[in-house]
Amino acid sequence: MKNNIEAPTLEMYIKQDLGLTQNSIEINNVTVSFKTPKGKFDAVKDISLTIRKGEIVSIIGHSGCGKSTLMNTISGMVKPSQGEVLANGKRVTGPGPDRGLVFQNYSLLPWLTVYQNIYEAVDSVLKYFNKSEKKTLVKDTLKMVNLYEHKDKLPGQLSGGMKQRVAIARAFAINPSILLLDEPFGALDALTKSSMHIELLKLWNLDNRNKTIVMVTHDIEEAIFLSDRIVVMNNGPAATIKAIVDVPLLRPRHKKEIVHDPEYMKIHDQLLGMLMDKLSIADIKSSI
Amino acid sequence: MNVRPVAERRQVLFTFKILYMKNISSNLLSIVYFLCGIGVLLLFWEVSSRLSDGELPGPIPTWEVFYELLKDPFYDFGPNDKGIGLLLWGSIVRVAYGFLLGTLVAVPLGILLGASKIAMNILNPVVQILKPVSPLAWFPIGLAVFQSAPSATVFIIFITSLWPTLINTAFGVSTVPQDHKNVAKAFGFSKFKYVVKILFPYSLPHIFTGLRLSIGVAWLVIVAGEMLSGGMGIGFFIWDSWNAGSMEKIIGGILIIGIIGLLLDKGFSLLQKSFSYEK
Ligand SMILES: Nc1ncnc2c1ncn2[C@@H]1O[C@H](COP(=O)(O)OP(=O)(O)O)[C@@H](O)[C@H]1O
Ligand SMILES: [Mg+2]
Repeated sequence: MKNNIEAPTLEMYIKQDLGLTQNSIEINNVTVSFKTPKGKFDAVKDISLTIRKGEIVSIIGHSGCGKSTLMNTISGMVKPSQGEVLANGKRVTGPGPDRGLVFQNYSLLPWLTVYQNIYEAVDSVLKYFNKSEKKTLVKDTLKMVNLYEHKDKLPGQLSGGMKQRVAIARAFAINPSILLLDEPFGALDALTKSSMHIELLKLWNLDNRNKTIVMVTHDIEEAIFLSDRIVVMNNGPAATIKAIVDVPLLRPRHKKEIVHDPEYMKIHDQLLGMLMDKLSIADIKSSI
Repeated sequence: MNVRPVAERRQVLFTFKILYMKNISSNLLSIVYFLCGIGVLLLFWEVSSRLSDGELPGPIPTWEVFYELLKDPFYDFGPNDKGIGLLLWGSIVRVAYGFLLGTLVAVPLGILLGASKIAMNILNPVVQILKPVSPLAWFPIGLAVFQSAPSATVFIIFITSLWPTLINTAFGVSTVPQDHKNVAKAFGFSKFKYVVKILFPYSLPHIFTGLRLSIGVAWLVIVAGEMLSGGMGIGFFIWDSWNAGSMEKIIGGILIIGIIGLLLDKGFSLLQKSFSYEK
């Protein structure tokens, strides 16, 4: 766990100076077990992780290692069997308006238009807004993600990138302080993915980088480009955190230039090594 | 697939706008196929008629007899002598009553079964036992209860329309995908919002599948039911024509039953389409 020691970044210093450093998410000794026909199955075991306010953190690991499960303990969709999760200092017992969720497969309701999909979420979460306030909010959010012209379309009429923007807009509309994204760009082509990265960072900047973003991904480049820190998970069952890698690259980051940055390349190699390492061991085992 | 905006989809439901206008050439082709099919049927019919030495009347004599009936479909000379239009209308009205009553019971019950495991466990065996019973077997019970043949006929249509609607509704309600439930959970939907914005929209296509099956079986059963009850409807017309020894009338009646059945099915298929959505 020696990688766990965090090298302070420039931003951290700035935020510390302004007294802005607060813990947004605290995961304390969380274990999640599922009941299966074959008995108890530990998906993740004894995980602890602290994420500061305004930080972008990626969770990376092999398919099925427990990334979504860990993420869902923060969102409140999954209850930890042991340990606890604090969001903004409060113990997580279920989903809440302080956390916006973008699901692995968009999860838009196919019979509702783009507008209605966002409106229903807003209507449900922001109970104290009146109707016209909610309408204005939905319209503004749609304009922010450039979907206003498409507001009356059904999800089935949208491209993958547009659907994902709707899902992000839905999570953003309720103005959560924590944004949780589960492989949000996994199904998109490389070009769309890149422009979505920029859009996500724009949204984050618009809010003065105050929103905490936790994102699950299996794309190393994506993780480095977006994140302040990258959490690498071991393979399950009973997955733990293998390492936490800092990404001290200055923002704003530029897609084209960043890949030539020696620091970027170093982190890239480091991550690749950690993820491939597991593969090669498995290969050796199976070939014996 | 062409996709229509929501507002227009609703409109389709009420105006029954024919959706197939867009592709005229493929439309034309399907009409040609349809006419070919009818042609083959007529040919087969004519040949069978000749082979049977006139036992089975051919298309032309049938048409002549039948044309007489169609010329004055709504005459009413007392209980056992009515025009074919009146008889047919009577059958349609009885099916409509039975079907509506059946729907009013089956949809709420289906929702209950789909939503509650306990209700499903209790009622499923009952449904499984009653479902395979021919609705005609309920006729005497209908008679005993209502003391009236028309009501007993409506009753068997009611029973007929229950099962497909009930089963499909329960299926729809019980198979709401986890993804949709997750949306409700993550954004804290109220029970009411869940029902109106997720449960219903998801189940409606299934419910309409059930309704379409129900109306189909109901139309099958009404003919047999009216043969049993006598004195009314298109089923009685067939039976009466048999007693009068008119094969021409029977064949004409069969064609009319077929055409009405087809129209009912097409109507419900349009309804079903207007409530379905793109994945
Ligand atoms: N509801 C559940 N019931 C049983 N097992 C589950 C459940 N959800 C996830 N798992 C198991 O937990 C492990 C981690 O799953 P997940 O968190 O979805 O992985 P990832 O998101 O990293 O691909 C997998 O082995 C998966 O089969
Ligand atoms: Mg996952």
